[in-house]
Amino acid sequence: MPISILPPSPQEVPSHTDRYVSDSDEEMADAGDNDFTSSNSHSIVTPGETITSDPQWMRGHGTYIPPNSTTIISTLAGTLQKTNKLLSVTPLRARYAPEIGDLVVGRIVNVQAKKWMVDIGAAQLASLPLSAINLPGGILRRRTAVDELNIRTFFSEGDLLVAEVQMLHQDGGASLHTRSLKYGKLRNGLFTSLAGAGGGGAKRNGSGGVVRSRRQAFTLQTTAGEIDIVLGVNGYIFVSKHTITAGDEKDASITRLEESVSETLYSSENDVVPKDLMREIVRVGTLIRGLVLCSRSVDEEMVVRCYEVAVEMEAEENVMGDVLVGQGAKSIVENILLRIESGV
Amino acid sequence: MPLDTSTYSLALLRLDGRRWNELRRLHAQISTQAAADGSSYLEMGNTKVLCTVSGPHEGKAGGAGGGPRSTQAKIEVEISFAGFSGVERKKRQAKDKRTSEMSHTLTQSLAALLLTHLYPHSTITIHLSILSQDGSLLAACINAATLALIDAGIPMTDYLCACTTAAPPTSAETEAGGDPLLDLNGQEEQELPFLTVATVGKGHAVSVLIMESRVRMEKVEGMLAVGVEGCKRVREILDKVVKEHGKRFA
Amino acid sequence: MAPPPSLQVNLSPAELSFIRSSLAQTPPIRLDHAKGPKDFRSMRAECDVLPGANGSARIALEDGTEALVGVKAEVEKSQWRPVPGESARLTAAGEVTMLDVDDAADKDENTKGKGQNSWVEISVEVPGFRDDDALPVFLAAMLTETLLASGELKDRLYINNRFHWKLYVDVLLLSPLLSYPLSLLSMTTHLALLTTRLPALKSEKDEDPLFDDDWDASVQLYGKERQQIEKPPVIVLAMAVGSNIIFDPSKEELAVADAVLAVACTTSANSGGRIVSIRTVDPPSHLTPPGVPNAMNSATGGKVPTSSADALTQRELLSNSGVWTPPRGGMKRSLLSGIVKMVVEKGGVAEEVIEALQRVEIG
Repeated sequence: MPISILPPSPQEVPSHTDRYVSDSDEEMADAGDNDFTSSNSHSIVTPGETITSDPQWMRGHGTYIPPNSTTIISTLAGTLQKTNKLLSVTPLRARYAPEIGDLVVGRIVNVQAKKWMVDIGAAQLASLPLSAINLPGGILRRRTAVDELNIRTFFSEGDLLVAEVQMLHQDGGASLHTRSLKYGKLRNGLFTSLAGAGGGGAKRNGSGGVVRSRRQAFTLQTTAGEIDIVLGVNGYIFVSKHTITAGDEKDASITRLEESVSETLYSSENDVVPKDLMREIVRVGTLIRGLVLCSRSVDEEMVVRCYEVAVEMEAEENVMGDVLVGQGAKSIVENILLRIESGV
Repeated sequence: MPLDTSTYSLALLRLDGRRWNELRRLHAQISTQAAADGSSYLEMGNTKVLCTVSGPHEGKAGGAGGGPRSTQAKIEVEISFAGFSGVERKKRQAKDKRTSEMSHTLTQSLAALLLTHLYPHSTITIHLSILSQDGSLLAACINAATLALIDAGIPMTDYLCACTTAAPPTSAETEAGGDPLLDLNGQEEQELPFLTVATVGKGHAVSVLIMESRVRMEKVEGMLAVGVEGCKRVREILDKVVKEHGKRFA
Repeated sequence: MAPPPSLQVNLSPAELSFIRSSLAQTPPIRLDHAKGPKDFRSMRAECDVLPGANGSARIALEDGTEALVGVKAEVEKSQWRPVPGESARLTAAGEVTMLDVDDAADKDENTKGKGQNSWVEISVEVPGFRDDDALPVFLAAMLTETLLASGELKDRLYINNRFHWKLYVDVLLLSPLLSYPLSLLSMTTHLALLTTRLPALKSEKDEDPLFDDDWDASVQLYGKERQQIEKPPVIVLAMAVGSNIIFDPSKEELAVADAVLAVACTTSANSGGRIVSIRTVDPPSHLTPPGVPNAMNSATGGKVPTSSADALTQRELLSNSGVWTPPRGGMKRSLLSGIVKMVVEKGGVAEEVIEALQRVEIG
């Protein structure tokens, strides 16, 4: 059926059983701490709700102390987090807030005198100074005026790159750098983002969004070849054909790094990607989009499992002749998730 | 006019069967549009409002160059009336005076409510679509905007809830007595002088107070008191909606 | 026509080149890999969502794009138009009466040719765009054009000589712009019109119109009893990449198109699928800068061409498809006829879409 128009869905209730339950809440409740309004790990705090009046607690993100009082009230709708003596509220949905050391995928929005402004899906554009990228010719090469004039040969408007947050300005804006062999311009692949349907940027408590603690750049083995997947913490994701970076092959020591800076680092030209590999790359992209629509967290384990099950299911369908064409990404992933949860 | 006739003072029931202190059916949904940063849909009786929030994001005037960079987020409110929102089909101009007044009120009150110092050099855009009008329009817009901003994860000190109240209708029997009416529909708004009041939180901090008709001074205090009570009840309802939503997705 | 801001491409040359080679394969690999070239994105639809309007519908796509359409009809006084074959007589100042012509030929059912284009008004609202911006105006014009093309709709709005129905169609895009909305808006309008009901006329001939208060007695605008009526047209987007034809493209797929067509099609009981209009849309890929191949990129060890003539020659000699180049030229005729065939044939795109929409109304 080439076109499927479905009746509007009732508000769905996600029914996953492996939800991350806040252990600390229950411990605290057992310790007889009666100051908190909601010790039930399933309920959230809402703006204006008093969390505690106990002056021993310090307030973190998402909280507010009205003047002339020691009451801590929440300013967001989200879950309460207690770390030692710090109280903070993590929102259910929020824009990505950059932290130092985050691996992010970004898109160049404009080019200025000695830097680029990069969109990373945060409240402000991030800056990438010219001094923070690897220039072909070696790490220790000096930036010259010629480099400034040719700034567009490195990155131009619309280019995708993977970078790390180097520092944060006073106002919360980020400054990026690509000074490692695994960072740089992205090509040979597809871009998707978690923002948009289903996701609201990266959420930190694992119920949707990219999780910071897991591995973010990994390689997937497929029948058609190897696929590199980069999951940016900011919710931007890039799926591409595996490129062998020089860092993989030889042990690049610091003194010899300049020799390893590849010539193709700033290339805008794609390699020839075989048709099968292209198909697999597109498949992974679709699966990730489906995971987002099902409000699941996107991490290495999830993506690999989904991919394996998807390949299995397609093989079965072809054998049994029961091909379900025309389904959206969401329903495909729903089927896969059902299978994972019931079977394995 | 229905409220002026004696039927009201006899049974003290309004045309839709409500008493003086009853709110209309308030139906609210949060996160109705997955594609937006924050969204909500609110119905107060037959007044239906849809709100989407996008941001905070880099403003159009941009952080790069230009005038002095602000230390607070800028709030922009756009209101659009659907042609089919009234009984008669009417296409409103985007820069209509009344619409500008409404969006200005919303901008001011939200700028005071949200903790904008956390997002310098950014812009928060709020877009309201009015799908159906039947009284208490500004109040519904304020409530919908609050919910959508909560959905977008933008910090605020407390809920901003609004409702309307009208001066008690006078007739021969009820001279000095008579209670102010709460939550007016379209017909009642046309007959009686009314005000829209919005409060922050459960207390009595009034953030918005708009009145466009004339009323005797003595009645204002009563109307205000009823309005603040009504806002408290609206807050409870909205809080329940947010908590329900949180239970499902936390 | 320059592509509206919603279509501006924000992808890197490497991405564009990858997507294009993916779509140029045989069979084309679409970005949603489970979809074939003729598959539409899945959507959720419902009608009669606005109790205060004569007809309404809402359709939401999977990626969150949503559209809402409300149809309202109001009685309006007709401007007097001279009709050939009748004589008029001026009585008092400003009043004109028509001599009654032979009524046998002028029954109420025969309203052919009496309608006027101005009786249907469509307005499109897109969040973030003003009313006089290019995108809403263009969308409204496309929708109006297809609705008025066959002329049947406006004829059905005729009440009598002095009054007619004025149909207001308000199209609202509820979500921010994620992809070119023409197809979605047109399908929602189609659904809303299918479910539009007008009050039943109780008065006769030229008297002031009087309607039946009973809503159950109301008449459907596209009534079931008149089966030969054509359904309101639906606009479908079709694009070409190389020799592949792809329907209902997403924003990324649209960005690499060689050519894009907006095809308005309809069906009727006896004649199957029929094309009402075809318009070309300027593909956004025309305005993208070409990618720089390694041979010309100083950062990858190539030599920057010294003059623009040199640059052009080098590009012409490029055989490598890894570099993105914006498509040149128009559309091949064979592709055009291919698209037309795919839309109109039995079981083709037109019939599929309209049948699917009809099932929403019935169900």
